[in-house]
Amino acid sequence: MAQEQTLRHRLAIHRPILNRIERLNETQFAYLLLVPAGLILGVVAIWPLIRTFEMSLHSDALLSPDVIGEFVGLQNYVEVITGQRDSQMGSAFFDPSNPFQSALAVTFIFTLVSVILETIIGFGQALVLDKQFKGRRWARVAIIMPLAVPIVIQGMIFYLMFQPNIGFLTEPLQQIGLFSSAPLAQSFDATVILIVADVWKTSAFMALLILAGLQSIDRNLYNVAKVAGATRWQRFKRITLPLVLPMVLVAMLFRTIQALKVYGLIETIASCNTVPSLSCMVVSTFSNGLYGTSATVAFIIAAIIGITVTGYVWKVGDDAIDT
Amino acid sequence: MGENNKTSRVQAYVQQAIKRPESVYKVAFYIATFGFLVSTLFPFYWLTALAVTPRDELYGLGLLPNGFNPAVFIEIFQRAPLHRFIFNSIFLALTTTLFVLVIASVTGYVFGRLEFPGKIPLMLFILVISYFPPASFLIPLFELFTGNVTILGLKSPDLFNTPGSMILPFSALFMPLAIFILTTFYSQIPDGLEDAARIEGTTRLGALFRVIIPLSAPGVVTAGVLTFIYTYNEFFFSYLMNNGEPANWAPIVHGILSYQTQYEQLYNFMAAASLVAVIPVAILVVFAQEQIVSGLTSGALKE
Repeated sequence: MAQEQTLRHRLAIHRPILNRIERLNETQFAYLLLVPAGLILGVVAIWPLIRTFEMSLHSDALLSPDVIGEFVGLQNYVEVITGQRDSQMGSAFFDPSNPFQSALAVTFIFTLVSVILETIIGFGQALVLDKQFKGRRWARVAIIMPLAVPIVIQGMIFYLMFQPNIGFLTEPLQQIGLFSSAPLAQSFDATVILIVADVWKTSAFMALLILAGLQSIDRNLYNVAKVAGATRWQRFKRITLPLVLPMVLVAMLFRTIQALKVYGLIETIASCNTVPSLSCMVVSTFSNGLYGTSATVAFIIAAIIGITVTGYVWKVGDDAIDT
Repeated sequence: MGENNKTSRVQAYVQQAIKRPESVYKVAFYIATFGFLVSTLFPFYWLTALAVTPRDELYGLGLLPNGFNPAVFIEIFQRAPLHRFIFNSIFLALTTTLFVLVIASVTGYVFGRLEFPGKIPLMLFILVISYFPPASFLIPLFELFTGNVTILGLKSPDLFNTPGSMILPFSALFMPLAIFILTTFYSQIPDGLEDAARIEGTTRLGALFRVIIPLSAPGVVTAGVLTFIYTYNEFFFSYLMNNGEPANWAPIVHGILSYQTQYEQLYNFMAAASLVAVIPVAILVVFAQEQIVSGLTSGALKE
């Protein structure tokens, strides 16, 4: 009885609110429901982005209790890009005198090589998973598994694998002259290992997206082609490849965006001193209190990603985006 | 004679291969499958071999374990509170997932089922947020969560070393993906169902909660599984938004790195701890592989 009363009481309060929601037109209703997402993204993403941009226009507040120094306009960007700004971190195999260009080169090389390798290997994995065979379910589990491995553990695996005394690969690879005796302390060798680690984990991402593309192809096309006398290679080249291409390009775009942000993998496998990526530079300048510089590099990464995405969409066309 | 025999056997094989290329493709297929399985699973095997090798025997370890010390899986818990780190990670991932699902469900419904001006620009805007590197949120969020931002005369709460300092950034990072997965699912539910419920006299919100949300359960599970895996995977904010103490909600990132000190490298402990910490997500992959696949593809298809 009492319960029923409280329920009725509660309804009495809510009724006017519900009625008001009912009377909203669809646009108002939509905007009302977007408020929660807007609030959380506003506070944790949009505000920080704007604030970071603002910080990038201010000098580093060295020797001052303030977080950032005075307004300097685009001076930070100019000094960071031309290498006048000491990022207080090691510079890799590229150019010791310019930490930013070094980081840029490392990030680009890492992204380019790993995305290309992932596409090739992921395509192979997708072709395997597209077939019907006994144990396919478990093959799929095995291929997806690296995708779920936390970055720190992925890093730990490859860190251990290339330790001088215990990694079984280190010595043989050194003997055939591929790696130095401590590959993880060497910029170039460590970059190669980072690429291998990235390919190991994320090929499956490519594979799953390409697999979805493969499975959406109408199988009748293959039968028709077979009857017409097309060889297996012709069928692959003329049917499979063009039809999955949009999916492959979407997958490559995602992986490119992610690879351009690489940080955690470097920190666990080789450290940011050995392989300084752009994200590494943001963190190291941040921990040294150079907030203006840090924000500037953060925004340069965002700009590079923005240009890449725009370039992709412009070059590849909308069909890759709204498949 | 032997020579001759050998060449003729090779010749026979080649002839057969030309005549029936299908068999060659079959062999190539099995070789490829085997290669992929070995390359993805090998690191787990090697980690096990390294973990069970006693520490004194680690030097010059080959492909096989050098001795057998299963006690390492108990010793890692004695050395560091690995269970607490794993618990922290699972707790953070679950809380983030719930939080993201509630908000992304409502947002996905809006994008998937309603028509309103500004829909496409708003969707693109959310997409753009997910393009930004975590590094470009870092400094302001750090200030905010250490209580150094004043809004309307109020100091922000000090969330550093609490779950809040990680759950909030995780949510911002992974909410766009969840929104896109759910948008796809909601847009696939036929309009008729919602209209029928409305004619029967339910309110707008009634139709949403009684008809649409129950029907979208598979989509919600999919988005939830992916958000959980991504959060458990996350490195950047997990590493930087706490001081690494297990009591301060430091997740597994710090647990694994805690076996690596300046003075000693406990390689076998690192391997064992990595294996143990992978178990929660490994179980999830085995049971939720369908959801992972459909989540990745529907998220991607939408974008």
